[in-house]
Amino acid sequence: MEARLLHIFRNTPLGRETLMQSIHFCKQVGATPVIYIPAFIKFLMYFENDVVQVDLDASYLVSPETAIDHVSGLMAEHGLEAGFLAPKNFTASTLPDIPSDFDFMSCPRSISDLSSKIGLGYIGPRVRRIVRSASFPVLLTSPVYKPWTSIAVFFGGSVNAFKALNLGLRIQRKTGMPLHLFTRTEGKHPRVYREAIRERRLEKALRQCGAEWHFWERGVVEENLYDVPHDALVLLGAFGHGLIRDFVFGSTMEKVQSVISNNLLIVGPAYSAGR
Amino acid sequence: MGRMIPLRYPGKWSIFRLDDRMLLILMGIIVGTCSGLAAVALSRSLVILLEWTHPYRHYWWALFLPASGAMLSSLFMNNIVKEGAGHGVPEVIYSVSRYGGLLRFRSSFSRLISSCLTIGSGGSAGPEAPVVMSGAAIGSNIATFFSLNERQRITLVGCGAAGAISSIFNAPIAGMVFTVEVILGEWTALNIIPIAISSVAGTEISRLLQGNNIVFDHREFDIGFPDTLASFGLAVLCAFTAVLLTHALRGMPHHSARLPLPIWVRAAIGGAVVGVIGSFFPVVLGEGYHSIQEMIDGVYDPGFILVAVGMLAKVAATSFTLGWGGSGGIFAPALVIGSLAGLTFHRGLAFVWPSVAWVNEGCFALLGMAGLISGMLQAPLTAVFLIIEITGDYGVILPLIIVSTISSSVCQYIEPASFYLKELVDKGQLLRPGTDGRVLSDLSIQELLEKDCISVTPDMLLRDFIEIVKRSRRNHFPVEDSESGHYLGMVHLDDIRPYLFNPGMYDAVVLEQIMDRDVEVVYLDEDLTDVLQLMDEKHLFSLPVISNKRFAGMISKATLLDRYRQELRVQTCR
Repeated sequence: MEARLLHIFRNTPLGRETLMQSIHFCKQVGATPVIYIPAFIKFLMYFENDVVQVDLDASYLVSPETAIDHVSGLMAEHGLEAGFLAPKNFTASTLPDIPSDFDFMSCPRSISDLSSKIGLGYIGPRVRRIVRSASFPVLLTSPVYKPWTSIAVFFGGSVNAFKALNLGLRIQRKTGMPLHLFTRTEGKHPRVYREAIRERRLEKALRQCGAEWHFWERGVVEENLYDVPHDALVLLGAFGHGLIRDFVFGSTMEKVQSVISNNLLIVGPAYSAGR
Repeated sequence: MGRMIPLRYPGKWSIFRLDDRMLLILMGIIVGTCSGLAAVALSRSLVILLEWTHPYRHYWWALFLPASGAMLSSLFMNNIVKEGAGHGVPEVIYSVSRYGGLLRFRSSFSRLISSCLTIGSGGSAGPEAPVVMSGAAIGSNIATFFSLNERQRITLVGCGAAGAISSIFNAPIAGMVFTVEVILGEWTALNIIPIAISSVAGTEISRLLQGNNIVFDHREFDIGFPDTLASFGLAVLCAFTAVLLTHALRGMPHHSARLPLPIWVRAAIGGAVVGVIGSFFPVVLGEGYHSIQEMIDGVYDPGFILVAVGMLAKVAATSFTLGWGGSGGIFAPALVIGSLAGLTFHRGLAFVWPSVAWVNEGCFALLGMAGLISGMLQAPLTAVFLIIEITGDYGVILPLIIVSTISSSVCQYIEPASFYLKELVDKGQLLRPGTDGRVLSDLSIQELLEKDCISVTPDMLLRDFIEIVKRSRRNHFPVEDSESGHYLGMVHLDDIRPYLFNPGMYDAVVLEQIMDRDVEVVYLDEDLTDVLQLMDEKHLFSLPVISNKRFAGMISKATLLDRYRQELRVQTCR
């Protein structure tokens, strides 16, 4: 079965960049892009244990008459055929329900705020909720089109980190791109992480794909992240440690996204690895 | 940290692990208490707002008060909390039907505020439906917070609705019955206990904070046989009035949408019309409980014609309030319209048969309320229990049952779906547990795919194909383009039968020559209801499923029946 990626199209130059990222992602991983051109300023996504209302920034509704042509044109340029999503169910007459059974979703770092707010260090509240609740990984695109040529997985040993690593391996098998593994040791010996990998029987898979494992044993996160290739797709788990620890110590995902401008593929706590 | 996690997973506590009934009872108490508090908060806020605006009612500009309230309500709903207007009950039923009772957190307070603005300023609406929405959302979000499963969440949504209705009317049985009859549509041993407990909690909260008062207290009615007989006629009048109100409420939004104006301006226009109507018929303003009390006490002064016109004016005012963007429910307006209908009918009877010793007109006002509620909601039990509880009078039970059941039946005959359900039924979104629609909606084509088909290419020789047939257990073979992998058509075993016994043809025929390109196909994202309809219409037993131009698998009636039965067993707990 082909994987499907949900893309909410914003008919602006920024939206074009985001769509191009989605197209590149789909071509690399063999997914089918499903484009939703919003007809209403808000929509709902019902997940397994949460319902998220996304109140879109008004720029999503700009020039609906040209939106389909813009999407079709870009897709055709990259050899893909546009598939559009027409909501079938409505919670209220102006509140469509967007399905949540996709394999990926792509969006900029914020979909509810003005595009002027989008930048490093900021993830909009709706995108956060989607990442937290979705059973699919969310592709947070870089502000400008940046085709990625390698895969970087941030691995810290948590359950979500393993999910991210498994997904990274799947994408590596699909694309054949080099895979880098980055681990900040947090005072532990690298052996601890290798042991964790061995326990999950991932050692062979990593060896087969020729993954390079980089350990950061000292230095601050910002400095360490300089080692990440600028054109890598970065995969990492998010919200895996619980509210309190994230609140007190800060979340790794927050630190990473505030420093690097790569495309990020975020694996949330509800992601089911089998998808 | 490690100790914090189990708090959000009470289902894993050893005390609840074996049986979740105790868990649901505990949660029912919490939800009932919260929704009871929400109902009391709205009730008290309305009293404060009405008392605050009362001294200004005699000024000429007071007729614009409903306009300002509706406008503020609309601005609040659309610009601040970004929800649609309306009372929200269909949204609760929709969520229970389709999404396991998931409701947004903001719904737990949004309609309390917006309906307070609308009703407190004089808009013709009721606070009951908004508190149902609020209570249901509280239940849903508490269930989500504690990571409860879908069935438990739906029960807590019901607990929230029951607690809210019980609290606002001081009527626990009506709260329970309304929930199972209208919101959940099913009565099971598993959900009725927590819902009952929640109703008790909601009622207790109301009694604790507002006192144990009967909403419409009255003296005893001496009902005779002629009154019981007359209640048949009242039921028919109530049914037609209910249909009129339903049509007015459903038609008004279409008229208002034609005006090319912002929603809040439309709400203000609707409110202004209500203000104008209210300056002639004050009975139409606000929730109207004061007028109901007067009618039940038999001290409502206006004569037959004015009461009848007042009834129509209330129908118009309610439609202008709710249909043009104001916020609130139809429970209270239906009670007012019902009591006006009862009064009109009684005065008509007294005019035509003056020699008959009719019961006091207050009794007919009371029966009219039951007739309107049961007609609008098509929920006769709710109407019966509600009226008994809010009037504290069991003596009217016989005519009450007659009016409720007849009104509900006549309405159902004219309008098969109730006011709350009509929109959902029209869109095919009312999916009660255990029904065909619900079972099919819970299954997807993806789950039913049979993927053991062997794909072939159009340039394949018949000889090679026969080899494939030998190792396949299926009769269908999808043909795919050798380069793009796109689906082109199907080859059925019957298609090769003419050539099977002619080995000379084995190397002369390629599949492109015998494949069927016109086979009906379905797509992965199609609804199963549509797929089944296609199968029935074309007398097909299996169909190829296409995704992104590629063959994804086959779907057959046999597999569907298997999964259908499994799903039905899950939904009906059998």
